[in-house]
Amino acid sequence: MNKLLRKYGTQPIFYQFFRKMKLTILIVTVSILSCLSAETYSQTTKLTITENNSTLLNVLRAIESQSEFKFFYNEKVDVNKQVSVEVNQKSITEILDKVLSSTSIKYKVLGRQIALYDKNEMEPFISEQQGRKVTGKVTDSSGASLPGVSVVVKGTSTGVITDNSGNFTLTNIPENGKTITFSFIGMKPVTTDINGRDQINVVLETEIMGVDEVVVTALGIKKETKKIGYAAAIVKAEEMTVNRTTNFMQSLQGKVAGVNITSMATGAGGSTNINVRGQSSFSGSNQPLIVVDGIPISNSKDYGGTQGPNNSDAGDGLLSINPDIIESMTVLKGGAAAALYGSRAKDGVIMITTKNHKQNKGVEVTFNSNATFDRAIDDTNFQYEYGQGEKGVRPTKPFPDSGVWSFGEKIQPGMTQMLFNGEVVPYVAQKNHIKDFYNGGFTFTNTLSVASQGDKGGFNLSLAQLKNDGIMPHSGFDRYNASFGFTQDITSKLKVSGNLNYSREIHTNPPQIASQDMTSTKSIYTMSNTMPLSLMEKYQRDVNGNEIIWSRFKNRTNPYISANDAFNNIDKDRFYGNITARYNFTDLIYAQVRVGQDYYARHQDLNFPSKMAGQAPAPQGFVNGSVTQDQRRFREINSDFLIGAEKEFNNKIGINLTFGGNTMYQYSDQNSTLGQDFIVPWLYAINNARLKTPIYNYSERQVNSLYGTADFSYSNYLFINGTLRNDWFSTLSPATRSVIYPSVSGSFVFSQAFENMPAWLNFGKLRAGYSEVGSDTDIAPFSQTLTYGLNSNLFNGQPVGTINTGTIPNSGLRPMRVKEYEFGFNMKVFNRINLDLTYYHKLSIDQILNAAVSNASGYSSQLINVGESENKGLEMLLDLSAIKSHSFSWNIIFNGAYNTSKVLKLGLDDKAVSIGGTIRQVVGQPLGQIYTSGYLRDDQGRKIFNATNGLPLTTSQDIRMGCALPKWFGGVTNILRYKGISMSALVDFKLGNQIVSSAEFDFMRHGKSKATLIGREDGFVIGDGVKPDGTPNTTKVDLQTYYEATARINENNVYNAGFWKLRQLTIGYDLIRIKKVAELLKLQECNLNAVANNVLTIKRWTNNTDPEQVYQVDGTQDIALPLVRSYGFNLKIKF
Amino acid sequence: MNKIKLSILILILGLGIVFTSCDKNFDELNTNKTAINSLDPVPMLNHAIWKSSPAFYRHTMVYEMAIVQQIISPFGTSLAGGNYNQENFDLAQNTWRNIYPNILKNTMDVIVKNKDNADRSNIFNMARIISALGGMVLTDTYGDVPFSEAGLGFINGKYTPVYDTQEAIYRSILNDLDAATTALNSTARIETGDILYAGDINKWKRFGNSLILRAAMRLSKVNPVLAKEYVKKAVAAGVMTSNDDNAIVRHSANFPNDVGANLNGSEAANFFMAKPLVDFLKSSNDPRLAVLAVRFVGATSGSTQTDANVTRIPSNQIGIPVGYDNNSISARAVADGVGSFYGYTQFDRKTIGKQDSPFFLVTFTQTQFLLAEAVQRGWIDGDASVYYAKGIRGHMEQLAIHDINLNISANNIDIFLQAHPLETAKALEQINTQYWVACIMDGQEAFANFRRSGYPALAQNMYPQRAIADGFIRRMTYDRSEFTNNLTNINNAITRQGPDKLDTRVWWDVK
Repeated sequence: MNKLLRKYGTQPIFYQFFRKMKLTILIVTVSILSCLSAETYSQTTKLTITENNSTLLNVLRAIESQSEFKFFYNEKVDVNKQVSVEVNQKSITEILDKVLSSTSIKYKVLGRQIALYDKNEMEPFISEQQGRKVTGKVTDSSGASLPGVSVVVKGTSTGVITDNSGNFTLTNIPENGKTITFSFIGMKPVTTDINGRDQINVVLETEIMGVDEVVVTALGIKKETKKIGYAAAIVKAEEMTVNRTTNFMQSLQGKVAGVNITSMATGAGGSTNINVRGQSSFSGSNQPLIVVDGIPISNSKDYGGTQGPNNSDAGDGLLSINPDIIESMTVLKGGAAAALYGSRAKDGVIMITTKNHKQNKGVEVTFNSNATFDRAIDDTNFQYEYGQGEKGVRPTKPFPDSGVWSFGEKIQPGMTQMLFNGEVVPYVAQKNHIKDFYNGGFTFTNTLSVASQGDKGGFNLSLAQLKNDGIMPHSGFDRYNASFGFTQDITSKLKVSGNLNYSREIHTNPPQIASQDMTSTKSIYTMSNTMPLSLMEKYQRDVNGNEIIWSRFKNRTNPYISANDAFNNIDKDRFYGNITARYNFTDLIYAQVRVGQDYYARHQDLNFPSKMAGQAPAPQGFVNGSVTQDQRRFREINSDFLIGAEKEFNNKIGINLTFGGNTMYQYSDQNSTLGQDFIVPWLYAINNARLKTPIYNYSERQVNSLYGTADFSYSNYLFINGTLRNDWFSTLSPATRSVIYPSVSGSFVFSQAFENMPAWLNFGKLRAGYSEVGSDTDIAPFSQTLTYGLNSNLFNGQPVGTINTGTIPNSGLRPMRVKEYEFGFNMKVFNRINLDLTYYHKLSIDQILNAAVSNASGYSSQLINVGESENKGLEMLLDLSAIKSHSFSWNIIFNGAYNTSKVLKLGLDDKAVSIGGTIRQVVGQPLGQIYTSGYLRDDQGRKIFNATNGLPLTTSQDIRMGCALPKWFGGVTNILRYKGISMSALVDFKLGNQIVSSAEFDFMRHGKSKATLIGREDGFVIGDGVKPDGTPNTTKVDLQTYYEATARINENNVYNAGFWKLRQLTIGYDLIRIKKVAELLKLQECNLNAVANNVLTIKRWTNNTDPEQVYQVDGTQDIALPLVRSYGFNLKIKF
Repeated sequence: MNKIKLSILILILGLGIVFTSCDKNFDELNTNKTAINSLDPVPMLNHAIWKSSPAFYRHTMVYEMAIVQQIISPFGTSLAGGNYNQENFDLAQNTWRNIYPNILKNTMDVIVKNKDNADRSNIFNMARIISALGGMVLTDTYGDVPFSEAGLGFINGKYTPVYDTQEAIYRSILNDLDAATTALNSTARIETGDILYAGDINKWKRFGNSLILRAAMRLSKVNPVLAKEYVKKAVAAGVMTSNDDNAIVRHSANFPNDVGANLNGSEAANFFMAKPLVDFLKSSNDPRLAVLAVRFVGATSGSTQTDANVTRIPSNQIGIPVGYDNNSISARAVADGVGSFYGYTQFDRKTIGKQDSPFFLVTFTQTQFLLAEAVQRGWIDGDASVYYAKGIRGHMEQLAIHDINLNISANNIDIFLQAHPLETAKALEQINTQYWVACIMDGQEAFANFRRSGYPALAQNMYPQRAIADGFIRRMTYDRSEFTNNLTNINNAITRQGPDKLDTRVWWDVK
């Protein structure tokens, strides 16, 4: 008996499941011959069945377990229907008549196969006509014959089922019948042209759920997942298009195993940090390469970069992408996967394939609308018992300068205070600074797509608009997208396809972050806790237009001035896309040529408002302030070719060879003019400026590459892949510019290699890969030579110039190299559990370190190839179908990654043990160690205090406070479906990292943190510890002095930055189920989802901020914008 | 199969074509067409001269001016330093991080490239003088520092330059200054683009010789023999003869004086004229007090320091006492009758403390006082009291170069000089106390000369949180990054010189 049937016969649950999922053809025709032989079996077989108050399914199983009968049915047949049957030695027809009498289900016995169908459907048709005849045999890959295979002439109602020996005879083939389809549950269907043959033998291959997924691998080559020897994560489009974020990558946080995504708290138009498998180099970019339709696009961060004061985040390259055009996304995590991208792929590749046609023939229109509302989350936990003031005294005289101090008196009813404007107001706690200052944000996204597919080609046209109002007053982000993808068969051999994307991005006042001036958070979060915001709003400037000073920290700009008077407008037009022509010489050999370009032009205007308290006045006759006009252009052109050939020998050995080449040319430039001090007040125009400083920069680089791959497969279970790439870098000197990177990977599908594998094992694979890739991204163009710079302005009529680099050029630089090996394991069992594990070890050598040198050399650093570090870790994915029934299902998907790193080598000589300041790389330690000042402690761990003044003593050297990079990260998604209702909840986490917070430093020294409540009653503090001589410390210290001093000991400001969050919650309903609506509107698809993002922080360890409230991921926190909680709706309609 | 063969052929041909051109034009591509690959030495020297004005206000205000009790801020945290006798590494390393990359890197480039260029001998020698000035400020600030191997990171790959002893540095500076000054040649090409003297060779010579005098006098205690030798050399070669010879970095709106920029910007309300300076000027009826000092009567915050409540009357000036912080000063301010500490006297931020206030690298006045002391020590001939009087007059006249509103009438100068002649018995104290006044706004020179001479006789800052053993801060702590990037050499220096503390004395600073 056939292997598969035997297997299913003993495990009916899977058999049943397979049929249900895979059986699509119910209406079969059967030859009279096979019918005759079957007739006997059905009449002679007698069965005894006892199933009371059971389901039809159980009855069917019971029949199958006692006989050779197999049931086929489609979803119209409700097998969960309650039935009762008690029969003794009855024939199959008698039993079925009885069981089905109370149902609308009818049956037809076709030999040993029994088809169940709803009576409203057409009865299975038995052909009795004679005509053209084809015979043949169907076997599985092991050569065993396959009975019960449905053999249908495509486009006709002619068909048969193979007999016990797998043989079939098709008669009566109509004139228009040219193709035969062979299908059988659990096997991949095969379609073949008749082509005048009268004998057709076919081998069907086992199909395992999800196993035969196709992934887009490097260079856009599609491969079955079982064939790849490395980890690749597939991201479904719905992951980004239902519960949306402005930058779509942010919505993937916690969803992809081993991909550490961090959203910057810098506004809706901000950027995202992505790390795959840890940080592979100490400096420079550790971001994966972004490839859209086979062509890399820029994902550089748009942060600052102008003359003049600008610490705002205007997003990154991914912000341009409208997720609605994404067909699929693959993350190639390791070097073996990415090696074909050579130098740029050391941190993995994110492969995005966009839509360029409809999936099946016809035209469809899709409309997606999304509206979300944002609210700032107030994570603070400040004290509100003591209000504004210093030394325990509240302000009672005009113009107090204590606006950011909360070391005043205990707040009592009836008290008043005199504030910076001279106004007397009640001395009461103001607990809603954050809630009151920040607006409710709103994001509205609409996408309209038209897609078609015909015989020769198709297209997809998408138009989208996104409008965002930020939580920071007067800030927002707008995006317009137009995308056109097409594919067309010019001839039967020549196919042309392409994708053209245009985006226009408009940032309105992206908030200033992490500076004193014009930074709303700095002012709002440090403002004294009895300062009414209404006063700040009312008294911004005096009659002369000068900022009214509210704190002696004059750079703590009144937040309303930051919002109202500062402007920063960025306008970016981006065009990227590619055209591909592919010519198939034969079925086995093809050649492809592709050209792609990513181009953008960006304009920015920004000012620093006039008459700010913290700025020195302009010379006589001018008003201070500045304006910057900045233009940047970027262009990257990739041209590549690919020649591929494949050949299979004896149905056993397959070889696939490809050879290609690429030229990458990148050019960017920037014109920027800074104008300072104005003639006409309040006119922020360059021509109105006293001092104009123009700069021009450009950068140009090219990488030429040749590469090849060779894939070998043996008998469908052993796969070996090798790649070789040679890069030539323009940024390097002739001696070092040519570099070769190899990779090899293999996959062994053991579930298919051996006979007699246990039935519960659906699929099992071992994989291994080794690769070497490198990177020149840390080497800037033109950095091989020493150049000079002239000051833009003359010094009293004379030029002033200098060597314009602090980095000593090094012409001998080599690209850094990452050597990585990985082992993986993927198993699918019981058809419910999918487990995927990967272990990797990544060694980064020859890292191009901007190694600090003694400042006395005249320079601060030198680029050298010295750094060595390693990352190793584990990535895991567990997909569990906890409940799977006809109407209800529950899926649990867990993904997690563990990464640990180690610095192996640093510096110019072996003696160098660490580089960096607060965040250091230390030999022998994981990357990103936080070092801060700490309390001086004695042997018993007691803090030591100064004998005379009672203040805590600090360590003479900074001490290690932990690691800035998370060890663990991942997420758990629960998906529940009941009929048309679906609910999904994502909990994500990051653990094992620390953060040093300058925000907490401010909160303590300004008396806002609760820790400063200790000692308030008395007005002094006696530090808990000992004097240097070991006797207990008894010295009283003035309270404010004590906390100002202790705040400076940064040990106080180091926090565990881990978290557990309910990141996303989505509840959806499939409106298509409301049949009347669907029919009336002729809808194909209609989904309405309620979405919520950043729903709840389940656990965090920080005091007054969120650990994610950062603008960079280096382990320091200079307070960024408050995080936002968003909630809204997503509606998708397809016609 | 023919098609396969054809494809392979195409492939091989393609391979060949691509291989031969895989890095074509890369050298040209990797050349920045808008960058300057070589630059005339004049703009580079100008950069070094400009940056010789202390570029980091906080350092010089927070430490040097505070240690010599001219300017004091009562505030702590980032403004903690000389006022609290406290470590503030960020600021202490500012001089280091200015002079090496901005001055020595450029002067070494000029020196190396023009050493053998007879035509540019003057710029070569000018660069040596500026280099010596930078080295002198460095060693005076920190003690043993890298000098002979400094600024050469690109030129010869000295990433970890050795620390020279201060003695070696001084010998080298004296030697170099002597050679450079002598070699300056008015018949060679005149570098008219120089922003110090527009190429005037005679002024450069007098500047160089005055610098020799300053360097030599620095050694008056530690090596009087060597000091005397070079004082005589300098005098023989010719030092500055009038305020016209002053070495001035002429700041402008485009190249502001950082001290001025911050006295007018975010720190305008936070720095005050220290009591010892106010009292000294007041007690001697010094006409300079009337032009330098302002007080905002009744001010309680920065906002209330307005033109309406300003007073410039010398008798109304009240200097901020030394040794208080912004909390402890409150009671003292009440006792002093200024109400809030915002009512203490400040340097006039519109004149002496304005943003484009010039910075004087070396002055005629300082030179006169040094000569007076040299006469007093018997190293050169002359009349100490004449030099002394010239020095005071010089400084009073020099103030008008700062700002026309600082003009002091000749009559007032005469009255002052008549009232305050040099007294032989306390000549050194008088000379060096006037040197201290003449170094207003030049914290680094005031600090150095105070340590060397012991004058003015200032009371110790007894701030309770002092981090020094006794007396005064005597040097700055090293750039912290040296402990990472140049560990062996800095440890050698510390072993030689003493702990890297604020109260460790440098070589020439003997008790």
